[in-house]
Amino acid sequence: MSQKTPAVVVDQVSKWYDQVIGINDVSLAIDGGVTGVLGPNGAGKSTLFKLLMGRIKPSQGSVRLFGEDPWVNPSPYRRIGYVSESERMYDWMTALDFVSTLARLHGMTREEAIDRAEHVLDFVGLSDVMNKEIGKYSKGMRQRVKIAHALVHDPDLIILDEPLHGCDPIARTSIMSVIRELGSQGKTVLVSSHILEEIERITEQIVILNEGRLLALGNLHAIRGLLDKHPHRILLTCENPRELARKFIAEKPVYGVRFPNEGQLEIQTNDLSAAHAILPRIISESGVPVEAIDNPDDNLEALLGYLIGGA
Amino acid sequence: MDEKGKSLAESVWTRMDRKAGAITELTIRQLRHRVSTWVVLSVGALVMILLLAFYIDGIREEFDPIDNDGDSNDWDNDGYPEGQEYKYGTSDWNGDEFPGSGYYISTGEIDWNDNNRIHSGNHTWEGTGLFDAEWIDTEYSGSRWSGIVDWNDVETCPEGEPTVDWWIDWGSACLYDDGSYFVSGKFRASGTVNAPENYYIEWGYYTDETDIEPEAPSTYIDEDGILWDGEDVSELYVASDCRIGTYDSQTVYFCDGFEVDDDGDCLIDPNDDNNNGIPCDVVWVLDSDKNEIVDIRPDNNVNEDAAESEFEGEMGHRTFIIGTGKMAFVMMLGIFIPLFLALGLIRDETENGTLHYLLSKPIHRAEFILYRLLGYLLLAGTYILVLVLIMAFVTSLIAPGDSIVRLSDYPVWLGVGFATILVLAAYGALYNTIGLIAPKYGVYFCIILGIWEFIMGLFTMTLPSATVPMLSVSHWALQLIDSVVLIAWPDTLQYTQISSAFGVESGLPFFWQPPVHTLGTQSPVVALLVSCSVLVMITLLMMAIGQSSFKNREIM
Repeated sequence: MSQKTPAVVVDQVSKWYDQVIGINDVSLAIDGGVTGVLGPNGAGKSTLFKLLMGRIKPSQGSVRLFGEDPWVNPSPYRRIGYVSESERMYDWMTALDFVSTLARLHGMTREEAIDRAEHVLDFVGLSDVMNKEIGKYSKGMRQRVKIAHALVHDPDLIILDEPLHGCDPIARTSIMSVIRELGSQGKTVLVSSHILEEIERITEQIVILNEGRLLALGNLHAIRGLLDKHPHRILLTCENPRELARKFIAEKPVYGVRFPNEGQLEIQTNDLSAAHAILPRIISESGVPVEAIDNPDDNLEALLGYLIGGA
Repeated sequence: MDEKGKSLAESVWTRMDRKAGAITELTIRQLRHRVSTWVVLSVGALVMILLLAFYIDGIREEFDPIDNDGDSNDWDNDGYPEGQEYKYGTSDWNGDEFPGSGYYISTGEIDWNDNNRIHSGNHTWEGTGLFDAEWIDTEYSGSRWSGIVDWNDVETCPEGEPTVDWWIDWGSACLYDDGSYFVSGKFRASGTVNAPENYYIEWGYYTDETDIEPEAPSTYIDEDGILWDGEDVSELYVASDCRIGTYDSQTVYFCDGFEVDDDGDCLIDPNDDNNNGIPCDVVWVLDSDKNEIVDIRPDNNVNEDAAESEFEGEMGHRTFIIGTGKMAFVMMLGIFIPLFLALGLIRDETENGTLHYLLSKPIHRAEFILYRLLGYLLLAGTYILVLVLIMAFVTSLIAPGDSIVRLSDYPVWLGVGFATILVLAAYGALYNTIGLIAPKYGVYFCIILGIWEFIMGLFTMTLPSATVPMLSVSHWALQLIDSVVLIAWPDTLQYTQISSAFGVESGLPFFWQPPVHTLGTQSPVVALLVSCSVLVMITLLMMAIGQSSFKNREIM
């Protein structure tokens, strides 16, 4: 097997269910590092992952994992870990049981499997509760067990479908650091999400899907940079918005201010990065206490709106 | 990355023992966590306990021995059973005659054509004639029924010629005016007799009485049956030494049996009712294959009272094992366990949304079905095996027979278990496939299928050679049990035939008939192999259909 073969190659793949299109003519090649798959609900993220996992057959085009077609040959799964969006697990099992039992499906002996399972459960931070039944776990813990199960055989490609969905902030942070760690180990990681901010904290390499189509592929900052050049809003919640407004209006990236509510200041800018760069200085100079800084336009919907509008 | 030894080639259909072990174990644990599993297994165990209770009740009940020839009765109320009177040659209808009662010895007679028709003396007389008495023993008095003249009721003789104008009853006498009598019957007297022409009288004496103990009536129940311990058919007759003949317009063989008159009441010489030149023996009539008894022809008073309780006990025991094996194990557990345990083997994973954990592994989907079925079969098979061994142990302890533990039962029970496990495999593969193809309505289809299998099972028991039941799984399993029975208990055939020859009622002919799929060899081993192969082939075929359906299934 050639080492040059990319982990994931999706070539002009379409998949439709009766009249509904899940994926429409998508081509991708991914190898190494963490890649975020972004898109709103129904964009085709899960369809793409199901195609990768050989659960469904492409209507057109071809899918290759390490050069093999997963629909006819499950052998690539030897090197792949998959975390499904499904929340269902064998609740009557303990985490150690769950992970080691599934590890044995990779052909490990019972001892190897238990050894590896203990190792990965420790890696996701569950070593102290791994002998409890999964049914008693919180959502974040369950999600981490699923990740552990996907890592138990030391895969080269890890596919995570909405791993942060429904997790509390602490679990999110811990899962994100696990994913980053995997990326830094040189593994190929695919993470899907419908929240831009989540992906941003994990990786810069993204794939954006919308309505089954591949909308953008590349570095998140480059894509964002395009967005920055367009009118953007920063919302500050503070005690004296008018005092602060006077300071901002003098700065170059800011072309306008607004007071949408009592105690709120909206700064309008054409260069979001530059505006964010001057933000700390102006706030400290003004001496006005600021409670919160929000970017109401800095989300996936805004990005998509821009990408679609700009296309 | 490949240097880590993660060659892709070595992942699917390899390390099968480990993967099979893991999926099998997971399957068993999943089944164990389901209430329905425990319900169906408990119901099965409960049915077996109930059957055992019936068995204990039935087999421990005393079999009342039947006096087939009725010779234990004392018809004449003299205290001696008929069989004993027969051996001593005394009458079983005359209470005055009994073993040791003293018997009559004739010393002379006037026949109907003798010229001299007068005789004098002191004798015991029997016949008809004019009697001029010197002395009459009026104590020796009887009635018409015993044939002894009733001296207490003697009437005057009518006018006219005796035997021409009038007649008197046997066992009575009449008196003439001159003091002489006309007598007909038995009497004890001294005098001169004058026998009319064409009439007969004889005279003699009674021996002294001896004291002979009456035997118990039970001595004459089951006193003469087939001497056979149920072990070896060759003890009944020599099959190689049989004469060909016809019986009921079919070709048969007449075989001389080793059988003799056990109780010694075949006394009349020569007693050769079956005309084989050997007195007091039994001829077995076998069919043209020499494997079926058509008829049993004993000489008179040979084998006239068989100990049917021996047959009833043994046959009841065998009927229970075969009946339980077929009805309870194959047709009940065999059909219901897969319905509860196998139908959802893969369907439930799909419905629960946990299938992807198992399929996102380097395991072929076909491989996966195989391991799943293996897990189910391991659980259900162990259960059946345990149940069968418990049944075998309990029944062999309380069963009839000399040995404490009937080892010959175990092969049959194990055969029942083996047949049930093969049925579980076939139905398991079938139901799993149905669950895959029709997840929603599969259960109804399986129930209809179960009913079909049950009916075909019943047909197989009554008409084993019919063609339609061969389209069922149960047919082959029942045939497998029939084969095992014939291998483990080769004399079962003779038991059914002997019991029908003696008219012993038994359920055995309903539950068991010789296996039919012998490919013309009559060998139960061939039938066993044929049945096993068919069941295994059905299993493999059903599994292959399930695998090919699953392979092309999109899992949402």
